[in-house]
Amino acid sequence: MSKLVAIEIDGKKIEAPEGAVLLQVAKEHGFDIPSLCFHKRLSPTGACRLCVVKVEQMPGLVMSCAVNIKAGMRVTAYDEELQTNRRHTLAYLLAEHNEAYDNSYEDEMRPLLERYNLINPDQRPFGSLWENIPRVIDDSSPVLTYDSSKCIRCFRCIKACDEIQGKGVLSFADRGITKYISAGYGSWKNSECDGCGECIQLCPTGAIVEKPFRGLINVKEADNTTITTCPYCGVGCQMKVFVQDNTVMRIDGFDEVSPNYGRLCVKGRFGYQYANHEKRLTKPLIKKHGQFHEATWDEALDYAAQKLSDVKKKYGNMALAGLSSAKCSNEENYLFQKFIRLVFENNNVDYCTRLCHASTVTAMLKSFGDGAGSNSIEDFETTDCLLVTGNNIIETHPVTATFVKRGKAKGQKIILIDPKWTPLVNHADVWLQPKLATDVALLNGMIRVIIEQKWYDEDFINKRVEGGMEAFDALKKLTDKYTLPYTSEITGVNPQKIFDAARIYATAETAMIATGMGMSQQTVGTNNVFSLINMCLVTGQIGKERCGINPPRGQNNVQGATDVGASPKNYPGYIPIADEANRKRIAELWEVEFEKLHYKPGLTTIEIMNHAHEGGIKAMYIMGENPVITDPNQTHTIEALEKLDFLVVQDLFLTETAAYADVVFPAASLFEKEGTVVNSDRRVLRIRQAIQPPGQARQDWEITIELAKRMGADIGTYESPEDIFNEIALAAPIFGGITYDRINFQGIQWPCYDANHPGTSTLFLDKFNTPDGKAKIIPVDYKDQSEKPHSDFPLVLNSGRILYQYHSATLSRKSPLLNAYANNHYVIINPIDAKKFAIDDGDNVKITSPRGSLKTIARIRDEVLPGELFMPWHYSEAPVNILTRNEMDPMSKIAPFKYSVVKIERI
Amino acid sequence: MEIKTNDILQKYPVGKSENLIPILQDIQDVEGYLSEASVVEVGRHLQMPTGKIYGVATFYNQFRFKPLGKYHIQVCRGTACHVLGSATVLEEIEKELAVKSGNTTRDGMFSVEVVACIGACGLAPVVAINGNFHAKLTADKIKELIDNYRNQE
Repeated sequence: MSKLVAIEIDGKKIEAPEGAVLLQVAKEHGFDIPSLCFHKRLSPTGACRLCVVKVEQMPGLVMSCAVNIKAGMRVTAYDEELQTNRRHTLAYLLAEHNEAYDNSYEDEMRPLLERYNLINPDQRPFGSLWENIPRVIDDSSPVLTYDSSKCIRCFRCIKACDEIQGKGVLSFADRGITKYISAGYGSWKNSECDGCGECIQLCPTGAIVEKPFRGLINVKEADNTTITTCPYCGVGCQMKVFVQDNTVMRIDGFDEVSPNYGRLCVKGRFGYQYANHEKRLTKPLIKKHGQFHEATWDEALDYAAQKLSDVKKKYGNMALAGLSSAKCSNEENYLFQKFIRLVFENNNVDYCTRLCHASTVTAMLKSFGDGAGSNSIEDFETTDCLLVTGNNIIETHPVTATFVKRGKAKGQKIILIDPKWTPLVNHADVWLQPKLATDVALLNGMIRVIIEQKWYDEDFINKRVEGGMEAFDALKKLTDKYTLPYTSEITGVNPQKIFDAARIYATAETAMIATGMGMSQQTVGTNNVFSLINMCLVTGQIGKERCGINPPRGQNNVQGATDVGASPKNYPGYIPIADEANRKRIAELWEVEFEKLHYKPGLTTIEIMNHAHEGGIKAMYIMGENPVITDPNQTHTIEALEKLDFLVVQDLFLTETAAYADVVFPAASLFEKEGTVVNSDRRVLRIRQAIQPPGQARQDWEITIELAKRMGADIGTYESPEDIFNEIALAAPIFGGITYDRINFQGIQWPCYDANHPGTSTLFLDKFNTPDGKAKIIPVDYKDQSEKPHSDFPLVLNSGRILYQYHSATLSRKSPLLNAYANNHYVIINPIDAKKFAIDDGDNVKITSPRGSLKTIARIRDEVLPGELFMPWHYSEAPVNILTRNEMDPMSKIAPFKYSVVKIERI
Repeated sequence: MEIKTNDILQKYPVGKSENLIPILQDIQDVEGYLSEASVVEVGRHLQMPTGKIYGVATFYNQFRFKPLGKYHIQVCRGTACHVLGSATVLEEIEKELAVKSGNTTRDGMFSVEVVACIGACGLAPVVAINGNFHAKLTADKIKELIDNYRNQE
């Protein structure tokens, strides 16, 4: 922060930061100087010329958006000349402006017209001439419409796209009075626009407006606007929800707070239609003779309770398991794990984190003692170097990516490691494209370069690494064989690029790592992350601000669900179950007999399914998960579910998994509940209720408590989610100082141990969370895959996500807008392979693995290497997981979604 | 079309956006106009979004976004031509071909462009068709001229 200096505006003495924008300072101190092109999130433009003021010793009228604060500045904000000038300028703008207004957007022009007495056409100095200017209307985008007659050419949309989102899609076309905003080659639809809608949110005059609900929404009279957390990915964007007639009609980014400062992506802004979708479950369902029948809550709950109790009695408590949900709140996950531990009386509770960052968390817990991201999302902008590996960050975490692109614009170095092209390639300084599943070799190769070139940090290793230089020597010994030629031979990456990447990372002042599913979803997932950690530790690129490792989390509460104990191994706050003292502490908190808490860690997600398949698990309670689509080896998963004696599913929709249930409970969506979630940078954020649940759908936590009661158990009495949260804060020390009051609008990053603790923006600054406070180097060797391509299955299939759809697409595919961008499944094949297998672009193809087969459409692109294929896994009609295998990484029990041998044929 | 664009792009370094205008001029020289495919290709080469290129290109009068006709008619509207009735000539051309200046007839035969002065004031009012000057035109003469070109087909 620059130093404060004294200035004077209209005689009022003000202290303001030197160099700050005068207009912004004036606005903050109550001088409502008119402006249209200025926005506090953008660099000043000086296009509308409304914000003129007089500054002593500056000639004439100056635009206050273009003046920076200097000590002793004396400013006149209002006098007759200024007001006359402003009125005149406004009248000019108005002459070229179509002022028709339909209440569907926030119009910043109208209040100014009122203020300057220009509402009445008779009082205007100039006639209207907008009708004589050629009018351009671009209605081609799925999400927005541009109308040049309402545009005042203020640059805000262009700058929103350039400066805030880093996309640069928009521009002025033509010149002079006829110029207008255009995208691409004059058409929004065919442009690079990805529909994030930042331009809509920043347009002051309704020239760019949203398509949905345009004729219906009245922003002035919306029933309520609620600030809540986005229900999609783990960035945790804060958003403002407009509701009319109990329908979500619009979502804007909430300007003021981290982590998104008003930004959203296309899913956050336009993916809300699922909440009011006609296919929402509104009544409990009971399956009889293979058919679902509507039931009352009493019937469904009693029936489920009875059946679960029967299984427990007949097969014992270990025959039950539950899947919790990264889509539910902390409070609900906490109660769910409490339910499993107290009602099922085992620890068989897990959820989709096992399929996502389990390996990352396992490795980080072992090396650092904490499995969460070490930095804040904002740091992605300010770090000097960012290494992104196996993480399609622009598509999967679009708002985090805005920070990356802004960083890049200021000179940040970006290293990208990805076997597949991602949009980040366009921003990367170096892109390493290794063959699938060769990451350990690549990273060991980089580590060897770092050691050889003496780019390691001996001081850091001595002070912060367990075993100091001895541990380093062990790593040196192991990586010694990974010479550049050897590494290049395994990975297929050009040696110079490996060298460059190592140099850029190791020699950067500060460097952060973002590691994604590409690293974690392998049978060697944990080893991959150990290698990353090793590189991080030898270079000392952790343990200080803007340095560390970050696994951007896929779901809005995948971080929180584990934090609050939806884990077979840990109680809330990563407290191991296996330790007797911990069980005693939890038993005391929950007011139950110590013996009631099972000492044995439970089964993980895939193990639960495997046990169900083998007959060990007889009944399951699944809250908000869709394993039929998300688990590996779909045929196996379906068989497992069919073998169960009893299955309870609690969800918003009759999902592919719910189809196999005996009882389905209709649950409330995130727009319909109160609670908290934790995002990728450990920020505990509020979710707030904006609409009422449809029909008889209930809050997940209420259903869980009710089911427990009917199984004869008491898992606590709570008035509200806040009550539950207060118990979480007692159970998990990392949440100890967090209350609803403290996170009213601004989240707090855990660990936050007490009421005075400010939260923790960067982990490991003083010490690691291990018993001796030091991090561990764990050298790992490259291992060949157990499944390898051969003559029957000559290709390797990689799978992943795209921007417009989300996971099993239960939510995102309910949005016609998102579907307008991407509603078709496909496989990407390299041109060389396409030729080899006689496949043309757009051909129908069949892909077969040892597990099963599916049909899809071929897209020929050089985005993948020869010998590799890529498919998005969102589409249930081409379920990638029918091809994947349920083999597990031995340490973390994650499945290799990124590596399945397959063959492809044209059909 | 794309191959031609590619050949042109090979002459310019990747990612150097300062070469944008020369590149666009080269493409227009070869292809007659800036097609969407070409602009996208240029964007890839210079690592610029399509919209930014389109914005620059539409700012200048010299760039065209539709293919030229087989016969490209440049109508001079400079001072001398104006005084001697080029407005009538232009009006007649637009009427005869049923297109506005800046456009191409549907059959792709003719395109019309208004230019400021082609430096042939002695011949006013003048038009250039595919670079050939036609002097001292009247409404009748231009009609005859267009008919002649039509009949050549």
